[in-house]
Amino acid sequence: MYGMIHRGIRSMVQDKLGEDAWFALEQKIGIGPTELLTGMVYDDTMTIAIISEAAARLNLTTSESLFEFGRYWIEYASRGSLASAMDLTGHDLVSFISNLDRLHLSVGMAMPGSRLPNFNVVLSEPGFLKVEYHSQRTGLENFVSGLFYGLIERFGLIGEVAIADSATCNAVFEIRYKDGHA
Amino acid sequence: MFVQLTDAQLGKLFPAYLLLDKNFRLAGSGPSIRKLLPGLQIGHAFDDYFDVISNDVATVCDIQERPDHPIEIASKCGNLRLHGLAGQQPDGYFLALRHVTTSQYLASQQLELTDFGYADPEIQAIMLIAVQRAMLEEAQDTALELAYERQRYSALLERTSRVSGYLAHDFNNLLSIISLNTERLARAPSADGKIANLTQIIGDTAARGSEISQSLMALSHQSSETLSALSIDDIITENSAFLKTVVGSKVGLSMTLHSGSCKAVLSYNGLLNCIINLLINAREAMPDGGHISVATTVRDGLANKTDDPPESSPCKYIAIEIADTGSGMNEALLSRAFEPLFSSKPNGTGLGLASVREYAVEMGGDVWLESTPGEGTRVFLHFPIALDAMMCPDDPSVEDASVDAVPNERSILLVEDEPYALEALVEMLEMEGYFVTPCLSAAQALEALAKRSYRLLLSDIVMPQQDGAELASKACIAQPGIRVILMSGYVPETAALQPGWMFMRKPLASSELLGLIDKLM
Repeated sequence: MYGMIHRGIRSMVQDKLGEDAWFALEQKIGIGPTELLTGMVYDDTMTIAIISEAAARLNLTTSESLFEFGRYWIEYASRGSLASAMDLTGHDLVSFISNLDRLHLSVGMAMPGSRLPNFNVVLSEPGFLKVEYHSQRTGLENFVSGLFYGLIERFGLIGEVAIADSATCNAVFEIRYKDGHA
Repeated sequence: MFVQLTDAQLGKLFPAYLLLDKNFRLAGSGPSIRKLLPGLQIGHAFDDYFDVISNDVATVCDIQERPDHPIEIASKCGNLRLHGLAGQQPDGYFLALRHVTTSQYLASQQLELTDFGYADPEIQAIMLIAVQRAMLEEAQDTALELAYERQRYSALLERTSRVSGYLAHDFNNLLSIISLNTERLARAPSADGKIANLTQIIGDTAARGSEISQSLMALSHQSSETLSALSIDDIITENSAFLKTVVGSKVGLSMTLHSGSCKAVLSYNGLLNCIINLLINAREAMPDGGHISVATTVRDGLANKTDDPPESSPCKYIAIEIADTGSGMNEALLSRAFEPLFSSKPNGTGLGLASVREYAVEMGGDVWLESTPGEGTRVFLHFPIALDAMMCPDDPSVEDASVDAVPNERSILLVEDEPYALEALVEMLEMEGYFVTPCLSAAQALEALAKRSYRLLLSDIVMPQQDGAELASKACIAQPGIRVILMSGYVPETAALQPGWMFMRKPLASSELLGLIDKLM
């Protein structure tokens, strides 16, 4: 994954456990500022190593940590440098998820070498979305669940995300949601 | 060409389209218009909701007259601004419109990607710019982090270096005490072979300890070289074979050494490095071969370059001249030759001449160049002659009539804050027939200086309250003829050593120290 994601993980660990915890994590797995270069594409094994080490420190399993990071990423991106791109992507849950591929098209152009997923809204009903996910990467379904959950929270909704079907490089997500203020 | 599209497809391609009938009444609109202008009603006149900028709707829809003329409209409420082209269809007109894309407009209307056509290149470019701006911001943060990290690393290295220096100082002090007292033990008459053997073991172990302290010194970037009065001719002669290999077989090397037995206060390896650096430069200026001459002479006058304003008193100095028959340098190169990191050579480090100048100045001398393009370059190195240099500058304003003006030729003012080291040094020097006044601090030494004259000040550098360099400066003012030898296991940056003062690194070797004193007295 690219360095921007690593910076997001760092921010999550620092927010939840403090700066010393991230420093200890860096020491443990032997990384430093050169593994946090925004536009660099790093091997997924490094990203997973960082996530796993963060999980151990957060007392979570790696899957739970991936979910938590997906959820955190939406908040991190919304308040950080990606805020304007996030705003332009969509002002409600359905629009945002429908436009994810268009957002990723720009990300892919800005970061050559990145391998970005595809999202296809196959069913949209009031309070329910079915989304197909395709990726060259494997093992990131919990991260995607966390992203959808983070989006539910971003738009002031409450709801849940389930993986209805999962195969290599593909998954179907079912998102149930309702107005958080109702 | 005729293409049939569903309303949904049309909405994806042109989310802000408008359909008008032949009477310019609204017949349909795209999803973005319906979202942003929810009050818009089908059947109402176009003019009820929109103004055509700089024209009217009938004119812009006149396809025969204006087949590819752009249309720009503004909504009467909601401040929408749209532009595009008008097309004719069997029962009216199709306005293929899109929102304008100024950042102010995008923000004020809270537009999102869905308000723009899927294949709209402009919104894709805007999105790309937004992502790139985000990356740029993060890259700036990263650059700051890396700079901070580098600063932190440098500070850590500096602290480590300083701690190493302090450790080396303490360690060398202890080793010095052990070495000096072991030598005392070795000098003591004893028939016991076992004691002699143990003395030898302690001495050898102290010597090994000294090697460890050398490593610490290297970590703290400390020079461990002794400064003493040396004959430059001797150094060049002793290394002449090696210097010939430095210049290579294509270059001839001649030496004319006339400074004889005159000596300058120098570090042996430092001077050798200077000469090697200058010979390498000369050789590289003559890739096809040539000649280098090395000459030494003793001269009277200013040690500084003659065309500089006179800043120092005239004195005798040893001049080294190294001349080559190479390509020479123009004025521009010459003016930058001593600049650190500047080099006219493709793989040059730019450190050679800079380090030569640094060394020359540190030894109280100077260096300069003269060069003529096509003819060659001459380098002049000047070092004050030792006896002149070792005499502290005369300052009549501080003469004190109460002090005995003529010092005993063998009188030494010895200052060392380590009592065991002081005791051993006193014993050693007295055995050699010197008259020693021992002091445990700079304050005690200043009191002694006020009472009588000394031939030599032999002082530790790092001491509480007042260091040895400060004491030596005061001693030179109080007694201008006094010679100075400073000794330490560590020279802090704050200790300013003056040209002409001798320096010995701890742990002290008795024979080396006695040899140095003997030359001075």
